[in-house]
Amino acid sequence: MVGDAGGQEAIISTPDGFRIAVEAASSRYLEVGDWDAVIAHLSGGAGAGDGPDRAPIALAPSLAAAQPDLVDRFSEAGFTVVVPDGDDPAAQVADVPVAVVRGELAVAETGSVLIAEHALGDRVVTMLCRRLVQVVDADTIVDRLEGAADWLRERRGKPGFASLMTGPSRTADIERSLTIGVQGPDEVEVVVLTATPGGVHEA
Amino acid sequence: MRPFDERYHTALEDPDVRTGLTAFQRGWRESRDAAIADLEAQEGRSFDELRQELAAIKDDVIANWDRYLDEFTANAEAAGAEVTRVATPGEANELITRICRDAGVDLMVKGKSMVSEEIGLNHHLEAAGITPVETDLGEWILQLAGETPSHLVMPAIHKRKERIAELFERVLEREFPPDDIDRMVKVARTELRERFLASGVGLSGTNALIAEGGSVMLVCNEGNNRMSVALPPVHIVTAGIEKMVPTYADAMKQVRLLGRSATAQPITVYTNFVTGPRPGQRQHILLIDNGRSAMAEDPEVAAALRCIRCGACANVCPPYGVVGGHAFGHVYTGAIGLVNTASHHGIEAAAGPQSLCVSCGACATVCPTDIPLPTQILEVRRKVVEARAPAPCDRATHLGIAAFGQRWLVDLGFRAAGIVTTPLRSDGVTKVPRWLAERPGLRERVGWRTPPAVPLRPARDRLKRGKLDEPPRLAAQPLAGRTVQLFLQCLSDRLAPDIPKAAAELLRAAGADVRLPREQHCCGLPAYDAGEQDAARAMVRQTIATLEGVDDVVTPASSCLAMLKHDAPHLLRDDLDDLERSQQLAGRTYDLISYLTAGPGRLPAGALDDGDATPVTVHRFCQASNTLERQDAIERFLRDVAGVEVVPLPEAEVCCGFGGSTSVRNPELAAGVLDRKLGCLDQTAAPILITDNPGCILHLRGGVHATGRQVEVLHLAEYLARRLPGAAVRQATA
Repeated sequence: MVGDAGGQEAIISTPDGFRIAVEAASSRYLEVGDWDAVIAHLSGGAGAGDGPDRAPIALAPSLAAAQPDLVDRFSEAGFTVVVPDGDDPAAQVADVPVAVVRGELAVAETGSVLIAEHALGDRVVTMLCRRLVQVVDADTIVDRLEGAADWLRERRGKPGFASLMTGPSRTADIERSLTIGVQGPDEVEVVVLTATPGGVHEA
Repeated sequence: MRPFDERYHTALEDPDVRTGLTAFQRGWRESRDAAIADLEAQEGRSFDELRQELAAIKDDVIANWDRYLDEFTANAEAAGAEVTRVATPGEANELITRICRDAGVDLMVKGKSMVSEEIGLNHHLEAAGITPVETDLGEWILQLAGETPSHLVMPAIHKRKERIAELFERVLEREFPPDDIDRMVKVARTELRERFLASGVGLSGTNALIAEGGSVMLVCNEGNNRMSVALPPVHIVTAGIEKMVPTYADAMKQVRLLGRSATAQPITVYTNFVTGPRPGQRQHILLIDNGRSAMAEDPEVAAALRCIRCGACANVCPPYGVVGGHAFGHVYTGAIGLVNTASHHGIEAAAGPQSLCVSCGACATVCPTDIPLPTQILEVRRKVVEARAPAPCDRATHLGIAAFGQRWLVDLGFRAAGIVTTPLRSDGVTKVPRWLAERPGLRERVGWRTPPAVPLRPARDRLKRGKLDEPPRLAAQPLAGRTVQLFLQCLSDRLAPDIPKAAAELLRAAGADVRLPREQHCCGLPAYDAGEQDAARAMVRQTIATLEGVDDVVTPASSCLAMLKHDAPHLLRDDLDDLERSQQLAGRTYDLISYLTAGPGRLPAGALDDGDATPVTVHRFCQASNTLERQDAIERFLRDVAGVEVVPLPEAEVCCGFGGSTSVRNPELAAGVLDRKLGCLDQTAAPILITDNPGCILHLRGGVHATGRQVEVLHLAEYLARRLPGAAVRQATA
């Protein structure tokens, strides 16, 4: 039955609604203060390795360009950082298990993160790495899909490739049996940064 | 493509198709309904409101096509795309081949694109020495198997996991345990990854073209579509021009309904907005017409251009559940395929599958763009008949319908049949002797469904004034002083006269003066259903003339009510006078249940409670649910007014498979749909099955009899008449 919200009023509450939707889409949800906490998170946990054993990590070129200090900070934490560029970025990330990208905004209604990935280097990290970490600022979470439509509309006419990503890749093509992790990433983490109000860049 | 008859029989012979698809349909129904209920709660609006909003957006595009196409083209070109409008599949295939040759490419990766199936692209590319590789898991499986998609969204849903495991073992020369679906799914990553990286061109379809931004919206779950689009140095988009929406906000409205209708997801994993090529890439967008502009000009089918290819219409279609998309459709499958195939692939390609539609109307109830599919299917069927496209027994149907228009001939025929079959009449059925039942033509028609008895005298004889007993009287007399015209229905008049007789008795017991207009014959439904619209119009006009004038009209046949209320106005739309007459008649015509619950014959609680508590179950006549929007009226009435326990019938509103001419033309299909219904009936363990459409009753009775089930199938009127005061005594002395 229809609720009594009336009109177009949505009953989605941000950001708790966002967390619920992210988890419903089989992604992992995490709230942290800043990038240091993101790096600490990726340094810990099972399978992360340590020191020279630590798995390499790919940063989206657009993220590395916007926050050049991140490459150093990940390196200092012991990661081999790959920022794919040049003619064959796909080959550079072929054996990199983890990728970190930054979302332009997030949508509470669906648990989606909007990722702009115009350049080939940005595309290969979201497509080819097995574990994808999507970092998004808390104050960019919008209630509804129309918020993402506004973002797209503001950039209309300019070339671009923007994707609402909602969970790890999946299929139900065989007997409608749901399998997580198909051709794209099979593990997705959505990390919400709470301590960077309004800023795309950290100081 | 192989001829229809061959596809139909291949599907019937493969036991996997039916078991797999029935399970799929049931699972989809449950999860989709939950997803839509969540959406309604989230939006605070009903599914109907939401889909009508999307339909209005699409209708605006269809009405202003050139403007939006120009706007899209200008914006996409500004972003660096090369946009070409192409009229025919041939032009599209040649252009794509040329793009590949110019780029020196001989390997193409493909995201899922139904339009590329529509234009037959793969064959064309292979002939030109270019290898297309399907990258959607389902499409890839089919490419390895040399098959085509049987569903718009789940292309390989007709294949069981055992068959897929066999296929993978053969092609990939490795072991694949059939129960390890995970392993089968994940092999796609390893097998296809290098193709993405090696391919010089990627081709995708589109889910929406966004005019205000020149963007192509692409949705997918696996991630393959994105990779086909994003990685190769050339990206080709094949887009049917009906995919246009004006704005990004409009696209989001489509997203909300598309994922839920297709796979019960609030949104697919990836919803990509591609605007122009990436640096170093070329992008070609083909806006393909192939009959779409002509559809837009044809008011009978224009609304089919709203389709967003979710596949929901197939997922609720009972015949689709029996034979799957290779028979139920052409390239496009399901109900929408029965409509748009004629426009994209010609009337002959559309002809064969037409006979599989049972006109149950389920497709229209789940369509997220509110396409009037059942009405459109019958319009295409009319065109098939007019074009005399080759379909089995067309001539025979035509002659049969013409003969059926003559009441005296029908009367004579049934009376003669009653006399001839007298030695075979037994307990309400016709016992066909073995030597006759084994003959081709009858063999596939009587084995699974015992034919009904043909009585010597039709209901109209038995209900003559003066021949009727003084009726029993109910304590409640809501119809005292009221005259009711009883519309018998042609079928029950001759094959199930106890039904109208019981209806008359019930109405008289409630105080009505029941009249029987002598000239009444047939509402025209069988002719309409057969695509013979001229004959149908003549019959519906005759029915209107017969019933016109005073009083309420009540029929024990809900199918006739659906015809008079829903289809007659459509048939008579070009004649305002007739249209008004039909609407006036529809306004005072009821089927029995609506008369007794919402009409003047409303009976109070307990009025028919005679203390008999034997549980019953109820089959909901499909058109009553889907077209007349009646849900649990019979169940509630039985509980409240008759005081009886009603055991819920699983899938109560799913068609029983009678489907008018379908069960004559395609008896194997009707048997398959009936089998599903009887399986649900078994789950209730109720000894009595009640419904209110005579066609369903004859079909279900025949099926119950042929399979030796111990269930009594009764019309609501028959069941209620038994509960009238003194009914047991009257039955004993009759």
